[in-house]
Amino acid sequence: MGSTLNVPLHVKYIQSLGENKDDLIYHMTAHLRMNAVYWGLTALCVMKDKDALNREEMIDFVMSCWDEKTGGFSPHPDHDAHLHPTLSAIQILIMQDALDRVDIPRVVKFILSLQQESGVFAGDEWGEIDTRFLYCAVNALSLLGHLHELDVEKTVGYIRRCRNFDGGFGNREGAESHAAQVFVCVAALAILDRLDEVDQDTLAWWLAERQLPSGGLNGRPEKLEDVCYSFWVLSAMSILNKIPWINADKLTAFILSAQDPDHGGIADRPGDQPDVFHTLFGVAGLSLLGYPGLDDLDPVYCMPASLIESKGLRKGWTALPRKASV
Amino acid sequence: MHGVKRVRYSREALAAHKERERAKLKEFQGLTAEVLSRKKGNDFDKESFELTTRLLHVNPEFYTVWNYRRRILLNGIFPTSTPVQINDVLSDDLSLTTTLLKQHPKVYWIWNHRQWCLRQVPDGPTDADPNGWRQSYWNKELFVVEKMLEVDPRNFHAWTYRRIVLENMPVKRPELSELAYTKRKIEANFSNFSAWHQRSKVLSSLWESGKRDKFKSIEEELDLVKNAMYTDPGDQSVWLYHRWLISLGDSKSVVDREIQSIEELLEEQPDSKWCMESLVFYKRLLLRSYGESLADEDRRKLASDCEELLVNLQRVDPDRKQRYMDLSQHKL
Repeated sequence: MGSTLNVPLHVKYIQSLGENKDDLIYHMTAHLRMNAVYWGLTALCVMKDKDALNREEMIDFVMSCWDEKTGGFSPHPDHDAHLHPTLSAIQILIMQDALDRVDIPRVVKFILSLQQESGVFAGDEWGEIDTRFLYCAVNALSLLGHLHELDVEKTVGYIRRCRNFDGGFGNREGAESHAAQVFVCVAALAILDRLDEVDQDTLAWWLAERQLPSGGLNGRPEKLEDVCYSFWVLSAMSILNKIPWINADKLTAFILSAQDPDHGGIADRPGDQPDVFHTLFGVAGLSLLGYPGLDDLDPVYCMPASLIESKGLRKGWTALPRKASV
Repeated sequence: MHGVKRVRYSREALAAHKERERAKLKEFQGLTAEVLSRKKGNDFDKESFELTTRLLHVNPEFYTVWNYRRRILLNGIFPTSTPVQINDVLSDDLSLTTTLLKQHPKVYWIWNHRQWCLRQVPDGPTDADPNGWRQSYWNKELFVVEKMLEVDPRNFHAWTYRRIVLENMPVKRPELSELAYTKRKIEANFSNFSAWHQRSKVLSSLWESGKRDKFKSIEEELDLVKNAMYTDPGDQSVWLYHRWLISLGDSKSVVDREIQSIEELLEEQPDSKWCMESLVFYKRLLLRSYGESLADEDRRKLASDCEELLVNLQRVDPDRKQRYMDLSQHKL
């Protein structure tokens, strides 16, 4: 579909997600519920309709997922706490200005307890490691104002060891570069003011080569395009101030073509089933591309730019200037 | 959700679909409630274990249930089992994850559980051979992961797992075998960047340990790459790898030779973006690293070649026009 972003339909789509309680998929994805709430709320913020979801209900849901035993958040009541939903919970509470509900020292302790000797973070006590979790920790600690408790050298050291010859980063030491992992590593380095660790010329080249003739972006060489890479790639490019190195008009058209014209939402590719994950990363991409009528998104934290700025956390990224009209 | 086609259902079809879903939903919700309530009650019995098996077959992404399953094993089953019994249980769990990985090769939680099981393997089968069980499992893992990479040679979960297997085998496999493996994968498909990446890691390690002569193997690699370049000059995997190889060396004659070879390819394929992109990079590398030893005339020629190539690149690759303009602006 179409040449414009159907904001009212996407807002309605996000609102409808909490109402599909007789859908199997709604229940099968309970382990992602906290993340989904964050994706939906952030997409609404970018579309300037934050109040389309009920604030009180949302805060109550988030708090019902706090696990007193570990100090972390679970994605859903009765599920186990994990670093990823913990970041989403903190992001939601900050967007809803409700951080006063949280026992911050306990959450900080939970996060710090997951750092490994190597500097990377585990997602939970079972020990899976990934640079995604390192980013979750750095982002959350920064938002909570406790970054000073982090061993920065150890953390940066791990990211450095994940850097590959193509300038990109993998999900752990030795792993192939992948655009989503590039985002988490570059954004973590931006938060830690350590972008000097990035081989910027090589990485910006690699990122620019993610664009395919369709206009969409892929996550690795010789792979298919997908709307979510609009954010993973663009966020890293905006942190390196290199968005003009790809064709913004073609990428905009690709994202718009992945909208569901009947029910709203954005899919991974044109013609596919939409979901809230791709809806956020589609509108996030459009925001960084200067699409008219949207709010600015901070690519480092993936949260509203004005909010990050008001907390004094803004880093030196550049998005494309906001257009006045389509 | 990735790659699921959008379908427009008629009202009747939608109703029928809902009806079918309702039964599945009821079963899933019932099972979930039962398992989570047992988990809350710290039930670590065999029946709870079986229930987690059923639930994980329906939804292998339900990581809390994997966690609960491991707690049952650690607190309920292992303490009352002999090493042989523990070994049998773990063997069954490895089979479970094999089955699930075939259907869901990209679910992190299944890969995680598999690794956890391998870490739990007890000493045995005998006191004289305490590593026997472990060794045979880890050897089998390499086979499993090769099967996975046959189905999807770019699955990064499988590649990461492969590196974990190679690291953990009680008796290490020679790195040269891994080098041979990446070559097989590359020769099967030059576009397999995952294999090129793995190759870069294995080579680096071989050089570091002195098992391979760096200079000699760079030459061999350049040969391999040249073959791939001529097969498909539009494949970026090869060019990325080539740039890495050149960046490792410090020989002007190698850069000169490679430039000449790429120029020959460009003559055959006059619009090849990757030939031009690489020529700009290597000619600028010459100016940067060996500029002082070059005659004025050669320097001017290299600089004007780059300018011309960057203008052509703007034409053949207009999506990245701004990058070529920036490179033009950015004089050495």
